[in-house]
Amino acid sequence: MKRGFLEATTLGFARAVTRAMLSEQTARQRGLLQSLDPRVRAVGLFMLVLAVTFSRKITVVAGLFALALAIAVLSRVRISTLATRVWLVVLAFTGVIALPAIFVTPGNPVAALGSVTITEQGLRTAALLILRVETAVTFTTLLVLCTPWTHVLKALRALRLPKEAIAMMAMTHRYVFLLVETTSQMFESRRSRTVGILRPEQQRHMAARTAGVLLSKSVSLSNEVYLAMQSRGFRGEVQILSDFHMTMWDYCGLLMFLLAGGIAVWMGR
Amino acid sequence: MPPLFELRDVSFDYDGVPALRGLSLQMMAGERVALVGANGSGKSTLLRLLDGLCFASRGTVSFDGQPLTAEHLADDRFAFPFRRRVALVFQNPDVQLFNPTVFDEVAFAPLQLQWPKETVLAKVTEALDLMGVAHLRERPPYRLSGGEKKRVALASVIVTDPEVLLLDEPTATLDPRSQSQVIDLIHEWKGSSKTVITATHQLETVADIADRVLVLETGGVAASGTPQEVLSNHDLLLRANLVHAHQHSHGGVVHSHPHIHSHSEHEH
Amino acid sequence: MHIPDGYLSPSTCAVLYVGAATGWCSALKRLKRVLLGRVIPLISVFAAFSFVVMMFNLPLPGGTTGHALGVTIAAIVLGPSGAILALSIAIAIQALFFGDGGISTLGANCFNMAIVGAVVAYASYRLIAAGAALASRRRVAAAAIAGYLAVNAAALLAAVELGIQPMLFHDASGTPLYAPYRLGVAIPAMMIGHLTLAGLAEAAISAGLVAYLQVADPGLLRSTSGIAADAPELATATHARSLQTLWIATAALMLATPLGILAAGTAWGEWSPAELPKVPVLSHDVNSPQSVPTGLQRLSNLWTAPFPAYAPSFVRSRGFGYLLSAMFGVGFLLAASLVLRLLLRRYRRREYPA
Repeated sequence: MKRGFLEATTLGFARAVTRAMLSEQTARQRGLLQSLDPRVRAVGLFMLVLAVTFSRKITVVAGLFALALAIAVLSRVRISTLATRVWLVVLAFTGVIALPAIFVTPGNPVAALGSVTITEQGLRTAALLILRVETAVTFTTLLVLCTPWTHVLKALRALRLPKEAIAMMAMTHRYVFLLVETTSQMFESRRSRTVGILRPEQQRHMAARTAGVLLSKSVSLSNEVYLAMQSRGFRGEVQILSDFHMTMWDYCGLLMFLLAGGIAVWMGR
Repeated sequence: MPPLFELRDVSFDYDGVPALRGLSLQMMAGERVALVGANGSGKSTLLRLLDGLCFASRGTVSFDGQPLTAEHLADDRFAFPFRRRVALVFQNPDVQLFNPTVFDEVAFAPLQLQWPKETVLAKVTEALDLMGVAHLRERPPYRLSGGEKKRVALASVIVTDPEVLLLDEPTATLDPRSQSQVIDLIHEWKGSSKTVITATHQLETVADIADRVLVLETGGVAASGTPQEVLSNHDLLLRANLVHAHQHSHGGVVHSHPHIHSHSEHEH
Repeated sequence: MHIPDGYLSPSTCAVLYVGAATGWCSALKRLKRVLLGRVIPLISVFAAFSFVVMMFNLPLPGGTTGHALGVTIAAIVLGPSGAILALSIAIAIQALFFGDGGISTLGANCFNMAIVGAVVAYASYRLIAAGAALASRRRVAAAAIAGYLAVNAAALLAAVELGIQPMLFHDASGTPLYAPYRLGVAIPAMMIGHLTLAGLAEAAISAGLVAYLQVADPGLLRSTSGIAADAPELATATHARSLQTLWIATAALMLATPLGILAAGTAWGEWSPAELPKVPVLSHDVNSPQSVPTGLQRLSNLWTAPFPAYAPSFVRSRGFGYLLSAMFGVGFLLAASLVLRLLLRRYRRREYPA
């Protein structure tokens, strides 16, 4: 189905915003992940993603997938949400990529379709890839869904990222929504003034013009923001308020993550 | 008593276009001043000059007897107290709300001034309560309404208990209810030594928020006086492009008169 | 060309994280000299802008659509250090907030798109636009070409990273553990999409934006114009001399990446059964290695020299020949632009002081 540039891009915007809203909702639930210190959450889930990446055996990866499911349920994340937003999407994308591997990977043939043969190695590699990606993306999505953005930032700070980087990430995130809104408004006004379907080069021209206006607005916005920052005392040094304390529960959680990851890596080597 | 702000023969160019020319004025502590002028008359520029965000190409600007120059503001010993004492609320709240949450926003200024953590937390809570936005504490700015944004912006500047409030079009783009809320806030906020300088083109609010009105036109002060004096000088207002003239006809007769959209009646 | 989690082995991810971190640190250090606080809002808002541009579904010739990166216009307006940071931030937010793109592969994605992409874009733009007036058409063309090159360089890197996974990381029976396609498949598969769609999209948007800025806001083009009279804010810190190290390092890194990753690879002894009949499990040889044109083979033989004892036969595969020429080509471009720049500088005395 051919969609115009405007409609397709606007859809992309809408999807991004709904994604953000969904994150905020889930982050406010009272579940397992939400109860842990955001630093523990970030480090722990990242460790599990690494464990997924380290494992060489399908059984271990499958076990990690089961763990991801369990964490999701305990964190009050709706399985249907995960299924539609993650599993199906990954399956479609990675499935398409992995499918030819069944045929072209050298190894022991197990079946034949006409002149092409399916090899055992091909099946295993496709299965391993799909399962690995599914599990890793599930862990990442759990982190994203259950952690409000500000907590992500503070967790990154705890990982010793320089505070200028954190400040920039915070500000970027905040202004993404403003820019998306501004662009949508520009598109709406152009759409209402456009009669009929535009040719591709007209659409490209409009895209460039909209991007250009957005760029100019962005730069002047950034200048104004700098003035506003100075007005409130900014002298070039970023100051951050840190207010996270680790409790016994958090240490336990960290330990559990470490154990799970360690066992998985050990068993999957 | 020496003036709080003093400008002498100030000129300022914006990208080669003169915004202010040979401007001189004084403001005393505790005054409530309204700067009126059409868009482009230099109101915003003047406020930014007063807040030490931009600097005059000619002439002098001083605050409390001290010069407001880039060099002087590079000195922490002058800059920190100045930033605490003088606060500016920008016209576009999105410019002012650049932090991830409302709480972070209000905490920004105290943190920059390097207040201790407990003080920051206490002051932020106080400011949020004062502006009635405590329930929005964890909200990101892109999920606030126009009126809420304005109140958070106000909270973010009054948290440091400034002596001078500079307001750039505080009621523009607000719905009527939020407008009156903001005007009430400004009205109630004044204390004995609080100075409020408001730039606005909404003449109907001027009487509520100011004791003195400065009319800006072509980069300079065209008039200065009480709200009553200035608002009744229709020729001046027309010249400064603050009001528009209507023409309508009754039968064969054409009437034209300056028109202020205000609560007061106008006669034919 | 964002690589998701699961396609790259842990060692590949680690190496690329180190590469990315080097790029980030050098960019931050360069900017600190120009008062980092001043550019925090500029880079942040630009990162947000890139993020939005990445969502544009641009119509391309032939009824197709493609997505641009925005790295080229970032390099043109902010200079390479600013562009590296802005794009890295955009990619990080995509991964950490919107869940698009992997977090184990964040280093790889930033290295490919934000770092190499920015440097290639900047170098090509400066080279092609050298000496042209701010409003000249050559700058627009330079932006288009720079965009095309940058996107394809990033895509090539990604293709290489993916393509070497099967030969380095597989289990005893030859099952690839991560990305399953070797270079011979990975490179064409990736590059076709980018040589046509994404490359054109980036070229179109970069050229369109430069053309727009020339009319609406030429000041934004000044800092990377190389025109000495305009005092560049950001570019001052990214002066040619200090930038050279970055270019040399990147060129070297690009040329050495396959070597580095090969060196970090595991199990030299275990090769795909199709190539080494040593592995006893096998009795069938389904996909036999292809024969290679002699010219390429001679070139490939250069690489067998360091590893005479092994001389693994994968080196003789066509895929590796592609790899070599491609890497050499991009590395050559960077090196050539470096040399040219040196020469140009000799002629032009009006460069701004360090």
